[in-house]
Amino acid sequence: MSIFDNLVAGLGLVANFEAFLSLFIGVIIGTIGGAVPGMSVTMTVALTLPFTFAMTPITGILLLLGVYKGGVFGGSIPAILIKTPGTPASSATVMDGYPMAEKGEAGRALGMALWASCTADLISNLSLILFAGFLASFALSFRPPEFFTLILFSLTIISGVSGKSMLRGAFSAVMGLLLATVGLDLVYGTNRFTFGDPNLMGGLNFIAVLIGLFAIPEILSVVWKPGDAHDRTRGLGKNWVTFAEYKRSFKSIVRGSVIGVVLGSIPGIGAAPSAFLSYSEARRKSPKKENFGKGEIEGVAAAEAGNNGVAGATLIPLLSLGIPGDVITAIIIGAFMIHGLQPGPMMFVTNADLIYGLFIGLIVSSVFLFFIGSAAIRVFKFVADVPRSILFPSILVLCVYGVFAVNNNIFDVGVMFAMGALGFVMLRNDIPAAPFLIAYILGPMLEDNFRQAMLMSGGSPWILVSSPITWVFWGLTALTVTAIVRAGIKAGRNAVQKAVTEEG
Amino acid sequence: MKLSTLGLASALTLGLAAGSALAEYPDRPVNMVIPYGAGGATDISARTISEPLGKAVGQPLVMSNIAGAGGATGSVAVQNATGDGYTMLFARVGTHSVSPAMKATLPYTLDDFRFVAVYEINPIVCVTSPRSGITSMEELIAKIGDGGISYSSAGVGSLHQLSAVMIMREFGIQDPLSAATHIPQKSGGAAATAILNGTATFLCTNSSAVASFVTGGQLIPLMVTTENRVEGFDAPSAAELGRPSLHQLVGWTGIASPDDLPDDVAAKWSDWMADATQDAQFRERMEARGSIIKLMSPEEANAFIRGQYDTFRTLVDELGMRIEG
Amino acid sequence: MIKLHRQSVMGIFAAGLGGILSFIAIPRWVATPANVPNIVLSPLFWPYTLAGLCVLAGLGLIWVGLHSNERFNEDEGEVSGAFARVFFFSLIAIAYVWALPVLGMVWASVLAFAATAFLLKSDYPKLALVCAVLFPVVLYGFFAHVAGVAIPQGEFVRLP
Repeated sequence: MSIFDNLVAGLGLVANFEAFLSLFIGVIIGTIGGAVPGMSVTMTVALTLPFTFAMTPITGILLLLGVYKGGVFGGSIPAILIKTPGTPASSATVMDGYPMAEKGEAGRALGMALWASCTADLISNLSLILFAGFLASFALSFRPPEFFTLILFSLTIISGVSGKSMLRGAFSAVMGLLLATVGLDLVYGTNRFTFGDPNLMGGLNFIAVLIGLFAIPEILSVVWKPGDAHDRTRGLGKNWVTFAEYKRSFKSIVRGSVIGVVLGSIPGIGAAPSAFLSYSEARRKSPKKENFGKGEIEGVAAAEAGNNGVAGATLIPLLSLGIPGDVITAIIIGAFMIHGLQPGPMMFVTNADLIYGLFIGLIVSSVFLFFIGSAAIRVFKFVADVPRSILFPSILVLCVYGVFAVNNNIFDVGVMFAMGALGFVMLRNDIPAAPFLIAYILGPMLEDNFRQAMLMSGGSPWILVSSPITWVFWGLTALTVTAIVRAGIKAGRNAVQKAVTEEG
Repeated sequence: MKLSTLGLASALTLGLAAGSALAEYPDRPVNMVIPYGAGGATDISARTISEPLGKAVGQPLVMSNIAGAGGATGSVAVQNATGDGYTMLFARVGTHSVSPAMKATLPYTLDDFRFVAVYEINPIVCVTSPRSGITSMEELIAKIGDGGISYSSAGVGSLHQLSAVMIMREFGIQDPLSAATHIPQKSGGAAATAILNGTATFLCTNSSAVASFVTGGQLIPLMVTTENRVEGFDAPSAAELGRPSLHQLVGWTGIASPDDLPDDVAAKWSDWMADATQDAQFRERMEARGSIIKLMSPEEANAFIRGQYDTFRTLVDELGMRIEG
Repeated sequence: MIKLHRQSVMGIFAAGLGGILSFIAIPRWVATPANVPNIVLSPLFWPYTLAGLCVLAGLGLIWVGLHSNERFNEDEGEVSGAFARVFFFSLIAIAYVWALPVLGMVWASVLAFAATAFLLKSDYPKLALVCAVLFPVVLYGFFAHVAGVAIPQGEFVRLP
């Protein structure tokens, strides 16, 4: 059968009212679930799963995919409006989205987030359809040594999100790496900084750390300097994103989508590193570098493109190899299996109509996302007009509910407040929080893959340079580090010159 | 506004409280703790039985995932709860026979729980990648003798690790710990991926976790630990290979409570489980995933779990595998 | 007495943290099996690496601080009563976490909301009180009945 025949067969499968309706409802549920901090896309998909049992396979899976797509965008709404990422993937969006909201430009930020999300989503879905086979074989060549070098390279993005001082960014990152060592050791199962407490054995809950680091310091800042007086500067603003701005950011959006597709097709990386990588690349290439972190619309576009670019690509290893790229796709695999379908290479032969039906549904989902997202922004925009003395206590309560709901554990709420205190001290001292977060995500992966590689080779370090992929990433890392060091020396020289001129 | 809301709430509560004096257990929703994350094998099994079970109980079952530390975090949450029948645990082979046998610092023991049922058995299957050139257990064991063979698992102290070691030992390898390299991964899914991409040579895991890869020809099954062959796996059973002592090496899911659960409540759970496991749709869904539905009474379940624990503990002590730190 | 730049103070803190980790925290709280075949595989390897990086970052910060004239957020000027308010908020947070299992999440949230709104000197005290009651109840309805989360109920007043 040719692709065209398959497409027709697939169209026959989805061309009914229920399939599109369930996709539509899925996007709505996902947008809402993503917009509630702590609900997270994972939990929303897990909650929707039981409803798909009674549906036909294509309808049920489209419902879940709709939730997935909606959720990844939905997370950006609270990230922009209340500095609380709805999902980990939207934490990069906070960096420029929230400053824009502070300036009364929440409408522009949200609009750009939506446009970038939809564009990246479309690119990601198209790559899934066109390159699934090629990218799938690429994904399988990622073993621990390749992962190690990829993550080492990804850690260089810390320099891109450090703000004013590289050194303070590095210090922040080291703290994040240290905190991530809490828990049970991977290779020997021994305790590290757990003090015998079973709550610490699993490590600190990531969502609790994330929300504690971003949202709680913001509440504390308002406590530090309260008052409803300067409410007028906030508010959604009449501004909406213009096509000119979209065009200006288009390069960053495409770059972010490609980064998302590549990282998404490798199982186990996830959307947050992709969003940060896309953001730091956009900053590096931008002529307005200085403006990043202070409310640059291109920063929002890059971050959202980076995380939505992942959403279609994670389906590449899922559909072509049967390997879930993250927890969300692991749940979606569960849905396939309950219907007696087994994702993998055989599925393209035995259930080609279903696969092409899904492809059509995915393309349509990008369109649905655009309309539902626009509506959601209109519904949520009132949040920006709420007086601060009402808004911030509400955020406090929302964070507590949300963090508890992630793992049904009150201990996590305590972790959130403790991280909030740390985050506030960091904020007061101009130590950026983003490197901390990136290090917290990537640090354990770096260590685990390093040790797995060492186990594979029996302790020989040569395994880390054993394949072409590792050479590429070592090269990229070397290039980036050289660029960072050169920029650092230049900045240092300028500072000294400036000091000399001032003295003289 | 505030007063009326409070008034409404307290009126509702009073109504409920008055009801509870008359009604017997259960008169409110039951919190069911799943000690692993959403989407995992335990989670799907738990959510599948929650439908018929909720009907039998007559009260909503609130499913709570409390994941972390290989199931220890969630198990401890139930261990510390009151044994009033409103907090129950989905116990699993990993949390209640492997971990207690392997981990010296585990914050709970088998005595802290009362098992009301075991409802699902999962055969263990050993798989390898076609690229390894291994097609039978015999060849695998021979290659292990030559050295350079590794196996993956969902982490140190997991069922996967213990299974691989126990099977190697049964097949005559005296010191399985140094004969093959253990490469632990973060999850069961990652353990299967590690075989697919060649990070490790073989993996012994729940049949359901690798069923699709075996059907698709991406993985080759070498053996199953049950007495009979398992549908969909073209591999000899432990009985055929003459290793009947491996029959004990199976995964299971059950329901446990804190140890002070009253007898009448425990009796009710036995009845409900008997009802729920009869549900045709439930059986069909579980069997489609490669599970064997087998309801054990509390006594059978206890004997089964303790027997499995003792076997594992003996092996762990003999080999010095116990995690002390 | 020489007034150190804030960056140097941070550096001293970082270097000190690295030192404490290497000499006290890691030996005491990171367990390792006795027979690790290869040093890079030891559970101690990574924490010690990080402690070293921490000292390096600290030394860097001290050095840069000695040459820097960068101004910080806090130099904007003091806000009256800021420390006292942050202190009270910490008390609210501690009481909140403590009250969650005792009062239940809903009622603890009502109190925490009201206390925080008061601390923020709300211009809309009545609205704040209404929201303090309504918002946690609505969230309870959503999380408990739509999302199916077992929200802690407390020992006194149970919600349906």
